[in-house]
Amino acid sequence: MHCAAIPAVILLASTQLTHLAPVDMAILLLYFAMVIFIGFYVKGSTNTSEEFFLAGREMSAWIAGLSFVSANLGSLELMGWAGAAYQYGILATHWYWIGAIPAMLFLGIVMMPFYYISKTHSVPGYLQLRFGEGARGLSGVSFAFMTVLMSGVNMYSMALVMKVVLGWNINFSMWVGAITVAIYVMLGGLRSAIINEVLQFVLIWAGAMLIPILGLIEAGGWTNLKAQITARAGVEYTHLWSTTGNFANNPMGVNWTGLVFGLGFVISFGYWTTDFLVVQRVLSANNLRAARLAPIIGSAFKMFVPFFVILPGLLALVLLKDASGHLIQLYPDGSDMVVNHGMHSFNEVLPLMMIRYLGPGLLGLGITALIAGFMSGMAGNVSAFSTVWTYDIYGAYINKKASDSHYVSMGRWSTIVGMAISVGTAYLVMHAASIMDYVQELFSFFIAPLFGTVILGMLWKRATKAGGFWGLLSGTASSIFMWLVVLHDKTNIRFMILQPHASSDTIQRVQAMAANLYRAGWSWCVCVLVTVVVSYMTKPTPEAQLTGLVYGSTVIPHDGSRNLFEKPIFWAVVIATVLFGLNLWLW
Amino acid sequence: MTEPHPHHVDPSTEQSLSIWFFVGVLMLACGAIILGQGIYEFSHPGTTVLANLHPAFWWGMVMTLFGAFYTIRFRPRKG
Repeated sequence: MHCAAIPAVILLASTQLTHLAPVDMAILLLYFAMVIFIGFYVKGSTNTSEEFFLAGREMSAWIAGLSFVSANLGSLELMGWAGAAYQYGILATHWYWIGAIPAMLFLGIVMMPFYYISKTHSVPGYLQLRFGEGARGLSGVSFAFMTVLMSGVNMYSMALVMKVVLGWNINFSMWVGAITVAIYVMLGGLRSAIINEVLQFVLIWAGAMLIPILGLIEAGGWTNLKAQITARAGVEYTHLWSTTGNFANNPMGVNWTGLVFGLGFVISFGYWTTDFLVVQRVLSANNLRAARLAPIIGSAFKMFVPFFVILPGLLALVLLKDASGHLIQLYPDGSDMVVNHGMHSFNEVLPLMMIRYLGPGLLGLGITALIAGFMSGMAGNVSAFSTVWTYDIYGAYINKKASDSHYVSMGRWSTIVGMAISVGTAYLVMHAASIMDYVQELFSFFIAPLFGTVILGMLWKRATKAGGFWGLLSGTASSIFMWLVVLHDKTNIRFMILQPHASSDTIQRVQAMAANLYRAGWSWCVCVLVTVVVSYMTKPTPEAQLTGLVYGSTVIPHDGSRNLFEKPIFWAVVIATVLFGLNLWLW
Repeated sequence: MTEPHPHHVDPSTEQSLSIWFFVGVLMLACGAIILGQGIYEFSHPGTTVLANLHPAFWWGMVMTLFGAFYTIRFRPRKG
């Protein structure tokens, strides 16, 4: 999810942390060579629009599932959440567990059949089938706009991290990254992006797994680590739920209602079930069973991501020491200690832990994994942009009757244009750093209301075209309105959390992390309410037009499972049970 | 959840090279480089924390074996 991305001022004041040995460079160059090779290699099989934009719908459940989870495993998220774990403790794990797994299972079991059998090519495409052109246009334009901006943010972040960690020139990193991604996505489309996402997934696991393993050895095991964290930072740093009864009892300033409804329901379901960037990966599956299994396989891997993202942040709390053996204190980005005194920021925790444990060769692997994560973030955004632009904007409003080869050509060109806009965004962010924070906030404006519209569209036959459009528009507008109100006066957040008399300390805590959760929750409510009211005021859509789109009007075909172990629902129950057990263990 | 079957043409791509083959080659190549570095570090110890456990050697070994397994299992076949 995009909610813990690195603030714009990350790392700006730090000095170069390390340098790469020749053996590290060899690993990095090997990765680049393979990525470019794959682009040229798959070009021959991306001649039709189905092949270019949906990878020919030929992906197995495993490939689609790994790509699905990998599209979200960007380096911005990895570094941001490792820093969040250092800052807020184990509470950061919620963004990987309740904030992802239930939604992924819901996508596989409930929503995927509708996306898949409607044969839609995109989420805006589904909205067009269900709610007409207005809803498609609104979500298509906002999504296309956001993806190229996010791609630019990824590009700039990669260049900045490479500058701080390795001392590389920012322009060099940006252009090498942009050109490489443009080449392989333009040539191979979604197929190329998916192959690279799977490679990135394996690289990240291989590159990051050693840090928690060695960290736990150094700390003397999990029990000893918990005891040391409790002694240094407090018991609330090692508990997932027991401190969330009150905003003031935990370092994140979050309440369980915000976690369960705002994060676990609205934001998470919105992101994982309606953000086309991730849904596109599952639409590439080769049959209905694979499409349903893909998010479930993805969720199994997602459950273990905190092991190499959250755990390094926690380990750093008690193990990150300088040469004289004193604990290194990290500070918030942009704080006086970081900017003026050259201290390290929270977001540097992952590179610092890498440098602590990984020598030549292993460090190259870790750095390559980070670069692969950034590039895959750019590729994911730009391939989703090119699909939505070509199908939902160009093909829908500008040139409706072109040949299939024309649309493929448009897809390739829009990839180049998308990357060019991303480069422009990256330079814009470089000169006005606060834009980066706004771009990441913007993304959350559209996701929660979009989820309200899609879920009502799929599960409620009475929802009408006008209801869907006005619900989406008013939900999005309400989200922007709430953001502006809080931007104008930070204390207004007390109304969003329904605590008009909240103390300034509570407001301060809530501001950092919980504000998004409540804004998302309220904008979802507005969207649903308006959709329901307008739908009842307008004429119902004839049942025949809802076949294949809505629960109750659609006969869902058998997915081909032959026994219990092939049934998606069986594995969903297994994963839900493990998730429940893990939450109980760390309660 | 079933493992991808080694003897079928990989459904994820129409080419003779499977995605898993690319994964195998990348892991094998990186693993071999890291394993070589790990062997070198037996005579020239590293300076990182817990370098005495020789993580490069052991991790390089694991990656090499993993990569070799996937490279061989999903190697391109004629027909």
